[in-house]
Amino acid sequence: MKNVVIGRYIPGHSFLYHLDPRTKIMALLILMAAAFVVDDIMHLLIGLALVIGVLLIGKISIKRVYLGLRPLMFLLIFTFVFQVLFNRQGPVLYEETLYYSPITIGLVVLTVVFWGFTKKFIRFRLLYFLLMLFTILAILSLIQEPLTFRTGAFVVHEDGLRLAFFIMVRLIIIVTLSTILTITTKPTDLNLGLEQILKPLKLVRINAEEVAMIISISLRYIPTLLDEANKIMLAQASRGVDFEEGKLKEKVVQIVSLLVPMFIISFKRSDELANAMEARSFVPGQPRTRLHVLKWKLNDSIIIVFSLTILITTIMARVLI
Amino acid sequence: MQPMISLEGVSFKYNQSTEALKDVNLTIKKGEWVSILGHNGSGKSTLSKLLVGLLKASEGTIKVDGIVLNEDTVYDIRKKIGIVFQNPDNQFVGVTVRDDIAFGLENLQIERQDMIKRIDTYVKKVDMFDFINKEPSQLSGGQKQRVAIAGILAMETDVIIFDEATSMLDPKGRRMILSYMRELNKEGVTIITITHDMKETIESDRIVILKNGSVLKHGPSNDILNDKETLEKSNLELLLPLELMHHLEQHNIQNERLKKHLWQLSLNG
Amino acid sequence: MAIKFERVSFQYKGIDNKGYLALSDVNLQIDKEGEFITLIGETGSGKSTLAQHMNALIQPTEGRISLFGLKIDSTTKKKKKIKLNPIRKKVGLVFQFPEYQLFEETVEKDIMFGPKNFGMSTEDAKRKAEEMIEVVGLHKDYLSRSPFNLSGGEKKRVSIAGILAMEPDILILDEPTSGLDPLGRNALLEVFHRIHTTLNKTVIIITHDMNTVYQYAKRVLVMREGVLVYDGDPLKLFSRGNIDKWNLDVPDILSLTRDLETSFNITLSPPPRTRQDLFKALEEALS
Repeated sequence: MKNVVIGRYIPGHSFLYHLDPRTKIMALLILMAAAFVVDDIMHLLIGLALVIGVLLIGKISIKRVYLGLRPLMFLLIFTFVFQVLFNRQGPVLYEETLYYSPITIGLVVLTVVFWGFTKKFIRFRLLYFLLMLFTILAILSLIQEPLTFRTGAFVVHEDGLRLAFFIMVRLIIIVTLSTILTITTKPTDLNLGLEQILKPLKLVRINAEEVAMIISISLRYIPTLLDEANKIMLAQASRGVDFEEGKLKEKVVQIVSLLVPMFIISFKRSDELANAMEARSFVPGQPRTRLHVLKWKLNDSIIIVFSLTILITTIMARVLI
Repeated sequence: MQPMISLEGVSFKYNQSTEALKDVNLTIKKGEWVSILGHNGSGKSTLSKLLVGLLKASEGTIKVDGIVLNEDTVYDIRKKIGIVFQNPDNQFVGVTVRDDIAFGLENLQIERQDMIKRIDTYVKKVDMFDFINKEPSQLSGGQKQRVAIAGILAMETDVIIFDEATSMLDPKGRRMILSYMRELNKEGVTIITITHDMKETIESDRIVILKNGSVLKHGPSNDILNDKETLEKSNLELLLPLELMHHLEQHNIQNERLKKHLWQLSLNG
Repeated sequence: MAIKFERVSFQYKGIDNKGYLALSDVNLQIDKEGEFITLIGETGSGKSTLAQHMNALIQPTEGRISLFGLKIDSTTKKKKKIKLNPIRKKVGLVFQFPEYQLFEETVEKDIMFGPKNFGMSTEDAKRKAEEMIEVVGLHKDYLSRSPFNLSGGEKKRVSIAGILAMEPDILILDEPTSGLDPLGRNALLEVFHRIHTTLNKTVIIITHDMNTVYQYAKRVLVMREGVLVYDGDPLKLFSRGNIDKWNLDVPDILSLTRDLETSFNITLSPPPRTRQDLFKALEEALS
């Protein structure tokens, strides 16, 4: 849990921190839209370069962003491999015959098992995973012997490779942009920004202020609830619940022994909290003044204009070319 | 002078069968400090919830500052009465100390400039200025209760109810909250403490004893504190010096100087 | 020695790796039987952390603990072979809020939960539940009730019965009387006293109530900012120097005793620890 960087604010002092949260949310949406509009790999790479530029100017360490990307690595690689293997369009770039025999398949299984056991000890897991894929490919293409019962082909088509690369870059851009938002914006400011942006939803009977209040209280109580869950776990552990072991049936009881107290305590807590809020003159849906107000500055306008320019340019590029 | 709070024939039923409060009559004057004493389940907390309109009386009338409490007036009445609850964690609404104190002010639609001034004044009053940007998970129970008090002080209510507000705190936290009660009462705030700790009642002007939902007895603190029979009937304990005094009387040990001394001691806490 | 702490420290991992030292260099020994200990200290002084070490819920980051002969240190968690569960049966820990543990449909099932986890048969666990509900001062009728429809004091008793049913050698209670009215508090303290005297178990009570400390404890542990600053006799603890040094509340009985002794120039001996003792001593001194 501790290594999840998505959604975690890291204090800092660059211009990104001083932007209005509304600006950052809107710019994120606009630029994400632009990333989806682009259909040329070169343009997308320019986009990536721009994003990296923002990271550098905004003094956000690229390592942080990489940590944010890490949980998504599997998705990225999966998309890449899937596209490369199964997209059969465009000219052939590379072709290799694969030989399936009991021996090669056995070796492949061994490789996977070996990888599964050793990956824990390897620092660069991603590279290690790719290495495994290459090893499998090498086994299947290089070992030819009489027991071969079937041959197949490993073909890389240009479109597949191109699309795979394209999707990957697009994903990286989008995730990096979102990470910039969450790293540089306090959850409370983010919430306030969202509330302001969602205000027009009043027309469809969604009260942005109430939604924001719910989010704000959730933010306030998440640490409390985690702490509580931990204590309940300890309390049940002291009654002999071994959370690390147990058959399925025991596991069910273990989870019930956690969830029931959790539910009952939360219910009581929300009841008391509602009382406390009401007693302090809170009336849902009533207008309130606010301690925190957002201030729109020149920088904010510049960023929005800049983002819009990028979106318009990408649309133009797509329509005209 | 009209009373700050008056209850006439107030009853409350949680459901058809169980009556949490029965025919409670009570008046509290402006600037008074009243303790409501009672065992667990005596109806103390029900009473405090009725006063701020969190529950609706099944019978009887509640008046606050001359206004009859009903659905239309409840919001005005809440501007006059603040309440500090028992659990420090379940009344901290804001993400930080500053935000929490602001919460009530935002609800009252106080102008932002005024809000900032009031937060500054009252956070200092409860000695929490150094913690103004802290999150609740970084505070002790006593500190959270101080923030809760600041939040209510900032709303500048006439009455503050302390609903077992010290029962989850350590001795230091408890002493601190008691000292704020004292100070506020001196400044003219009407204080209602709901408790089963005799020591918290010593300084109050009057004590009301609740038992199984009814007022068993009420009167000046000095009388009630010394009323062994009533206290024992309601699962409460006499203060030690007073119990000793009764013991001496029972055993016909006459020592006027000792008696006077014990009485003085109990009044000084 | 049932419990032995040797230079035990414990550091909580905080956000952005700023650790928080909850225990610092604690040395301590506790017997399996016959001790009645109170553990006091301000909120956040490390009392609960200390208690959780005593039944291996958490392991020290430095130093060693021996629990009924089982050695525990910072490497214990990683060694899968070491079974901590048997220790948790021997040292029963009742958490501050009964809501943390009650979850079954009936009181009986909830009391049986612990013993069954430690391998007791259903029949035996049932018998234990019937026995323990009375030990904590509730009628057998409670067994068939839902634990969620009880009053605060009753829930506390049920949660204590649930731990007692595991037949621990040592019973630790984290603020067992907070929030109870005087009658409920005294009744519960009598229950602990009875468990201590009749079952000869070591009882450790974490509390803020100095009267409890003074009336019941044979030994007091004082925690302050993670350090065990006092381990010894309650009488000596409340010497004038210590009260100032650690900002302690003085027990009612002691403050009254001292006051009477100076104001009336008498000596009350032996130093009274209960209300009854005080009355008797005063009568004697006056006559």
